[in-house]
Amino acid sequence: MIRARAMKRFGRVLLLLAAAVAASLAIGVDARAETVYNFSVSVDYTGPYAAVMDSWHGGQVAMVDWWNKTRGKELGVRVNLKTYDMRYNPSVVAQNWPSILSGDKPILHLGMGAPDLISLMKRLPEDKVPMIMGTAMVGTVWVPNGWHFSSRPTYSHEFAGLFEYLAGKLPEKRPLRIGTVSTQGVSGYVDIVNGVVKLAKMYPDRFQVVESVWVDIQPINITNEIRRIAKEKPDVILTANNTAQVIATVKALKELGMKVPVVTSSHNGLNEVAKAVPLEDLEGSYSVFAFAPYMDKGVKQAADIFNKYNTSKGTWGTTAAQNASQAILSLRTLERAISKVGAANVTGQAMYDALMAGEFPESGFLGLLPALRFSKDAPFPTGDIKVKAITVRNGKIVSLSDKWLPVPKLDKW
Amino acid sequence: MLPSGVYFESFDREGRYLRTKPQIACFVGLLVLLAGFPFLSNDYLLGIASMMYITMIAVFGLQITVGMAGQINLGQSAFVGIGAYVAAALSGSAGLPFWMTIPAAGLAAGSASILFGLPAVRVKGFYLALTTIAAQVIFPIVVIRLPVAWFGGPNGLAMEPAHIFGRTLGSPMEMYYLCLAVLLVLGTFAFNLQRSRVGRAFRALRDNDIVPGVLGINPFRYKILAFFGGAFFGGISGALYAYFVRYVTTDQFTLWLSVWYIGMLIVGGLHSPLGAILGTLFITGVQETIHHVGTLLLASHSGISGGIVFASTNVVLGGAIIITLIFEPYGLAHRWNLIKAAYRIWPYSHN
Repeated sequence: MIRARAMKRFGRVLLLLAAAVAASLAIGVDARAETVYNFSVSVDYTGPYAAVMDSWHGGQVAMVDWWNKTRGKELGVRVNLKTYDMRYNPSVVAQNWPSILSGDKPILHLGMGAPDLISLMKRLPEDKVPMIMGTAMVGTVWVPNGWHFSSRPTYSHEFAGLFEYLAGKLPEKRPLRIGTVSTQGVSGYVDIVNGVVKLAKMYPDRFQVVESVWVDIQPINITNEIRRIAKEKPDVILTANNTAQVIATVKALKELGMKVPVVTSSHNGLNEVAKAVPLEDLEGSYSVFAFAPYMDKGVKQAADIFNKYNTSKGTWGTTAAQNASQAILSLRTLERAISKVGAANVTGQAMYDALMAGEFPESGFLGLLPALRFSKDAPFPTGDIKVKAITVRNGKIVSLSDKWLPVPKLDKW
Repeated sequence: MLPSGVYFESFDREGRYLRTKPQIACFVGLLVLLAGFPFLSNDYLLGIASMMYITMIAVFGLQITVGMAGQINLGQSAFVGIGAYVAAALSGSAGLPFWMTIPAAGLAAGSASILFGLPAVRVKGFYLALTTIAAQVIFPIVVIRLPVAWFGGPNGLAMEPAHIFGRTLGSPMEMYYLCLAVLLVLGTFAFNLQRSRVGRAFRALRDNDIVPGVLGINPFRYKILAFFGGAFFGGISGALYAYFVRYVTTDQFTLWLSVWYIGMLIVGGLHSPLGAILGTLFITGVQETIHHVGTLLLASHSGISGGIVFASTNVVLGGAIIITLIFEPYGLAHRWNLIKAAYRIWPYSHN
């Protein structure tokens, strides 16, 4: 009797042991099946963009976490974001990059802005690591055969898309009259104006730059300068550089008793300006960029993903949408690379090849981006470039149009 | 001050920087430590060290102009920028090797500085500060407006890493040794300059504007020379920076950077090249520590936002500088000299 009981107990223990071994084997098999790839990420938590970094990085992290739990699981791949605080400083990027390369062996770098481009542009082709940016490009980095990319074209291209739309809405047949506010001595800022001047030269019947004024980077009052633009009766005033310049432009227009729409980008857009200026003063102004606005109906799935997976204090808005689109392009590139070389063999070169391997359909981007096709000619999509814009209508920031706005062809300036 | 019993029998020996065997041993130990640093650290620390050496060279230059000759210069970053652009242009379009581009960058920056040094003959103090700020303001505008074929216009210039004997100096360790080698050469020059005939003329100019002329020192010549020397160092620093970052645009050389250079020199001590070393070490150390602590705070999910951390880092850094100046208004180099003197006459007190 006792022996039988002991045998029974022994049998149970054996069963438990077998189950434990089977479970651990299953986990082991599962773990072995999962391949982990590193994406290195430049952020700026202790530099000038620290205030928006929660939403910025939150957009990237949410998309990657969602992908890991869905598509990544199916493919047996997990993406690990290796985040580096670069302080928005090219020297810090240059300092960090060698240790990122040797330590993380990233297959892709998610860049943040000009410092990444400055420090890494020449190194990436040698290091065989492509970089995808979330910000728009500038003409200064428009070089062929680079390994730096953005889903967004140059700022000038993005403005051209909006200007094309506005020119088409003019009541009479004449060029759209554009005034520009910018700063000399900052190459990126000058470049944006140069791109718009090139646009006007290419299409003199559609666009005319009537006056360009140059102001301080952080101006206090630019009423005199805006008066000079106002004399030329502009249809729009382009203020592409920073929020301070947009605020100064809007205040100057108010002081002069004028209503001229101000055109801005994503980084100095309406949401940011509205923190300092009442929305009624921004009525009719625009922000334009080559990703979908956060309030677009089409980006609901992306917004839901952000709200579900975001663990930061960031909120869904222009910044989060911009960087979610950067992340989703990177992840679709990885999927394509996996389909070409297999889940276990993805390298930086495979990611680059995947970027070059034809069009990324719009359907893969959760409504955040239009269809994109990269080539060796430029660090941004060539071919049909499209943008979307937001505007202030009846005291509310709304999408200008549900449809993507086409960008006219713009040659290098 | 030397301890009792330590004396020299010749002026030559007394005039040396390294006068005793322990001093020589310490210096050799330091050199061995610097040379061995790459084997004790990682790529990230090597990057920080390389950047610190590059900055140190620019601050050495500032010490010559401001500390040694007493000519205020708030545009050192513009001269660093000129050096960077010249090195990038010469290595790119002309294909010159780094051992030619680096001195050429120094000479170009030095030559450009003469233009801004000329007013020093007639004005000083705030007025001179304004002319050097003008250099800072004019630099990006001119570079952007020059023909694109020269300096890339608004596009800036990309550059290849330095090469020597067919070998690319692209790795962090190679870059570290390049920066260290240049720093040692220029550091030796800066330390010896202050004791040379030119250095004594500079100090005479710093201490009094009129007397040097009476003593046969040509103020015009030496003021220009002070600007040239300072900017020469700045240009070389810029060339190394260009090789380090490998892309040059005007945005990298701001007035803000010039202010930092001045800050480093003041914290370190204006009147000695040692001040440039200690100031750069101190500010870089504090910056990196604060940044590291800030990053840890953010990573700890303490609920502090990134914006607050950034603002705090600047406040803490500014506070550190203020506290240093309150307790050591003559700079860290002065404190170092006091410690050295106290050590030498220990156990007796040093007053």
